[in-house]
Amino acid sequence: MNVKHIQTLEAASPGERDKVKFSDIIRDPEVRMRWEKVRKYFFLRESTYDMTNRCNIRCDGCYYYEGEKQFAGETGTPEQWRSLMRSERERGITYVVLAGAEPSLVPDLCRVCFEEIHLGCIATNGVRRIPESVGYKIHISVWGNDETSERIRKAKHLLEKQIRNYAGDPRAVFVYTFTRDNIDEIYDVMKALSPHGCKLTFNMFSAPVGYTGGLRHDAQSLAAARGTMMDIVNKYPGHILFSPYNAAAHTHTLGLHELFGCSYPRMNPSTDIGLGRSFRQYRTDLSWNRSASCCVPDTDCADCRHYAAGSAVVTARLYRHAADAESFKAWLDYVDTYLAVWVMGYEKGANLLEHMTPPPGFDL
Amino acid sequence: MPDNATILRVAEILIDELKLEDVTPETFNPDLDLVDELGIDSMDLTTVVLVLQDEYGITIDEEDYPKLSNVRLIAQYIEEKLKEN
Repeated sequence: MNVKHIQTLEAASPGERDKVKFSDIIRDPEVRMRWEKVRKYFFLRESTYDMTNRCNIRCDGCYYYEGEKQFAGETGTPEQWRSLMRSERERGITYVVLAGAEPSLVPDLCRVCFEEIHLGCIATNGVRRIPESVGYKIHISVWGNDETSERIRKAKHLLEKQIRNYAGDPRAVFVYTFTRDNIDEIYDVMKALSPHGCKLTFNMFSAPVGYTGGLRHDAQSLAAARGTMMDIVNKYPGHILFSPYNAAAHTHTLGLHELFGCSYPRMNPSTDIGLGRSFRQYRTDLSWNRSASCCVPDTDCADCRHYAAGSAVVTARLYRHAADAESFKAWLDYVDTYLAVWVMGYEKGANLLEHMTPPPGFDL
Repeated sequence: MPDNATILRVAEILIDELKLEDVTPETFNPDLDLVDELGIDSMDLTTVVLVLQDEYGITIDEEDYPKLSNVRLIAQYIEEKLKEN
């Protein structure tokens, strides 16, 4: 445990706890209603699955093509996947994330997963449409305008194809990844997406281990991304699934692990309860390795600000956010955003907090 | 050994917060493992912890969660905390 982590835990301990009771915080009807709304989803228990080692584009900074997992064989047949999903359900998994390398290339496997576990999400580049029979949330990755996509993803007219495939689809959430050099391009992207009613959330590029390219954030780009996020949230309120606290947590100069203490097995040795106990990250050969298990394996943990990681890491820290009313409202906004991004049929409410507040124990 | 009243109150809070059906504080097995047998997760446990803190005016650290594996142990933990105060 590092010094910052200890500070975080201490900040939420006796002093502040003596001041505010949880029952007082949730006495506010607006807070109470949001708390009751989000806590219905505490049953969600996730694991992630690499579906294929193939992809139809190749992106600079792609986490999948780092480390060993890319070399795992594709031995899984639909029946083997069905059997895996059944055993996952038996051990309590209620939510699946189908990810690397490109799940849309194996729609039959995606369908089998959906038939066995009904809540989940697929991370895709959006080049090929995933059939509607797969009723998961679909996260479509956007890394800049078409010029940038062609340069770093070697894909022409990518945004146009993504919109053609997913405009008007209630499953779809476009995920804009801010890198160090595409921050202003979100304005072009929103001009293209908003007329089609597309929903979008934000991600932050989180460097893979050993990455030396130019996409890694620095203090200046983190600050610029934060300002741009808030500007876009205000300009396109009906299109953006995000909150001021999401911006504060994901654009901090410290990564998610230092701010909140990552709860995925890769950084959390405890198997007593929570993600450390239940989470697995399966490779394409259906094997898994506890020491590599997190939602974005082969990401440099010190640089991790990934939206998927935050969805679990920030959400899991209910206790320390329940120390005062403002922190708790921020946490509720974060969880409300997370559920709207990840769960079919969940509608995001208005943010309870219109300004940014720092993570417990830290400055903004 | 914790007081039976504490055990019953902890069981009542668990039942209320987790919306458990077909069980009363009196019929709740205080030795039932909350994670392995009841299937509660960290978010459920945190919710219960927040309510217990309010009820008893104590602080329950996150590091202590693994100790709170059944109702009897939670009741014992609470009584020890109350003695410390």
